[in-house]
Amino acid sequence: MKTVADAPVGAFRRALGDWALSEGMTWVFVFKALLTAFVALWLAYRLELPQPSTVLATVFIVMQRQSGEVLAKSFYRIIGTLLGLVVMVTLIALFNQERVLFLLCLAIWVGLCTAGAARYRDFRGYACVLSGYTAVMIGLPATFNPDGAFMQALWRVLEISVGILCTGLVMGLILPQTSGATLRATLATRFRDFAGFACAGLAGELEPQRMEQLSARFAAQAVALENLRNASAFEDPNIRLRSGRLARLNNEFMVLSTRFHALYQLLQRLQGEAGGHVLEALQPCLAQLGAELAPLAERLYSEGDATSLAQGLQISQQALMQRIRDGRQQLVERQADEARLTDFNTAAELLFRFANDLHGYAQTQASLADQHHARESWKGSFTPRANGLAAAVAGIRCALLILALSAFWLASSWPSGSTFVLTAGLVSALSSTSANPARLSRQLLVGATGSAVAGFVLQFWIFPWLDGFALLYASLVPVIAFGAFLLARPQTLGYGVGLLIWFCMLALPANQTHYLPYHFFNEYLAILASMGLVVVSMLILPPDRPWLWRRLEQDLRMRVVFAVSGKLKGLVDGFESGTHDLLNQAYGLAARRPDVQRQLLRWMFAVLEIGHAVIELRQEQAALPDEPCYAEDTPWQLGVRALGRALVRLFIQPDEANRQRALAAVEQAIQAVRDTPELRPPQFDSSPLRRVLSYLHFIRSSLLDPNSPLAEGSASLAGRVVHAP
Amino acid sequence: MPREIALFGVYMPSLTLLFLATLAGSWALDRLLAWFGLYRHAWHPTLLRMSLFTCLYGLIALYIYR
Repeated sequence: MKTVADAPVGAFRRALGDWALSEGMTWVFVFKALLTAFVALWLAYRLELPQPSTVLATVFIVMQRQSGEVLAKSFYRIIGTLLGLVVMVTLIALFNQERVLFLLCLAIWVGLCTAGAARYRDFRGYACVLSGYTAVMIGLPATFNPDGAFMQALWRVLEISVGILCTGLVMGLILPQTSGATLRATLATRFRDFAGFACAGLAGELEPQRMEQLSARFAAQAVALENLRNASAFEDPNIRLRSGRLARLNNEFMVLSTRFHALYQLLQRLQGEAGGHVLEALQPCLAQLGAELAPLAERLYSEGDATSLAQGLQISQQALMQRIRDGRQQLVERQADEARLTDFNTAAELLFRFANDLHGYAQTQASLADQHHARESWKGSFTPRANGLAAAVAGIRCALLILALSAFWLASSWPSGSTFVLTAGLVSALSSTSANPARLSRQLLVGATGSAVAGFVLQFWIFPWLDGFALLYASLVPVIAFGAFLLARPQTLGYGVGLLIWFCMLALPANQTHYLPYHFFNEYLAILASMGLVVVSMLILPPDRPWLWRRLEQDLRMRVVFAVSGKLKGLVDGFESGTHDLLNQAYGLAARRPDVQRQLLRWMFAVLEIGHAVIELRQEQAALPDEPCYAEDTPWQLGVRALGRALVRLFIQPDEANRQRALAAVEQAIQAVRDTPELRPPQFDSSPLRRVLSYLHFIRSSLLDPNSPLAEGSASLAGRVVHAP
Repeated sequence: MPREIALFGVYMPSLTLLFLATLAGSWALDRLLAWFGLYRHAWHPTLLRMSLFTCLYGLIALYIYR
């Protein structure tokens, strides 16, 4: 009897558990949003704050699914608010009598903030956004009443703080969805995907197209994880203690995927007649590493597994080295020529380094289990490196728009002109942090239109019947719940934000309710017109134009110049993180043009491959022992330096002549290295020149690659992008 | 301790300043607790931090208003 009854109960429990982990989370979020709104609104009315709408708008601006992000956003929001306050009070004090000058300065300030937000798309960007829009929120209403400007500004700060406090408390304390858990899950999934993809790549079954897709995703995840790590450190003391290790893990992953990509490219180039023997000799080594990665691709592995993985990898490195030696012996026995042997050596060196990087990654992953660990003291950092021009376009667009709207306001003396200008500032600022600003501003417009309808119904049919806070809140519940539901999904986030923020700002009764239908219509007309203009301005001055892509490509290529001439300390992490961030920005901007995205990805691969080889070459040079054959003025050192100069020239202006020049330089350097007598046994682990030779050879094979964008030359490239369908 | 403090000619409740002082103090305490790994034994670390802050602030407020 009992067993029969148990089965459906068990199934029901499982179904309930599944629901709780998927849809249930959304409902929990909706519930928390309702609770936060309730507490914040009640406090706002109870404390008799002049504008409860600011409190609630703040609540929805800061609200995120994960508590860590709420705290981080709140922190930067307070900083941004205070900064905006200081600037605004100064501006009001300076240009109070001069509307035109005041609005001009305001436009410049908001433009600067928007450009800043587009430049750093992390929480610093968020502080920029907020200081920009707190400035308009405080400044514009205060121009009507300059005597009370200071007091008004203080009220706004107080209201914003109340909103932040309520959101932080509710999201952090009640059924929190921690960012730390998301961070761990993202790390585990990313590694599993990588293991699957590396496994396929080593077995030679990976399609180049899939390789590109995954690489773009890894670049986006690298940036997202960095933000997540920053946010989680606010919330979870355990994550803060591991912050250095997490940053290191992210960097090690980027190095790992770059290394794998280099190996993959080299193996691709070896496909074909000439490389057949080399591949055959390399096969056992590839198979060994593939066999180690295969189990990792099948399930999510935890931090506990990482320890055993690290130990396993350490032991297998010896076996790998032995296999490499066997393979070389096999080639020698077949009397392969010098070029084939160098091919083999380069591939084997890359493979061994890949195994080594994998080991390092597993070690760092395993070290996360401990509270304190020696790996924490990592000096590197994540350096965001967005294109300044793209950011400047966003800033100039925003400033021009505000100027145009202000001119209209001054000319027409429209009573809702300040809302008109304010909304343009808010929408430009909000959308500038997004990867796809045009889409977000369209979503905001649709959301705000929805809020106009809801506000109209509530204001004219429901509110007149209500008496008391409980009834008022009950009438708001449907709108807030629906908005929070939209807010919970990344695809519909923009609709939710538009609906909630503009509903709160315009339809919510103030502490002294004024029933003014004309005012209501004017205000909604102002925000909808203003948002429409923002959307149009994004179409007129869009960020996706061929000149911008050429600039972004140029920026990507300049990363090689950075690798050649940058300071060696912190070079690897600066190079990796900057290049990935740049690609991530460019990829988002080119969202509507898959052909451009492909081209950008190919440039990133070329840059990462060659840049990474150059950096390792430089590290090798810096660590040379003090012997005459490694002296500064030996022919091979001079050859390597000449190569650096040729590469800089090539990446600044990628044409055929420069490529030939770089090829000649690398061949000369290779010859010089070969001609240098060395007193050490010619093994990788003992001979620096051997390693130098393999880096040089890799650079050479990369330059020779017919599929690389370098082979096409810059002139044909620009033409191709413009004329592509 | 006076209940109001003049700061650059503006009267501010002492509690506002003490709020900031408590924030700094509890931040230090928080770092200390995290360093010794005491949060591992807490069921809800955020709740614990919040409560600690409330207790500290309450104590200080009592000191003024007692």
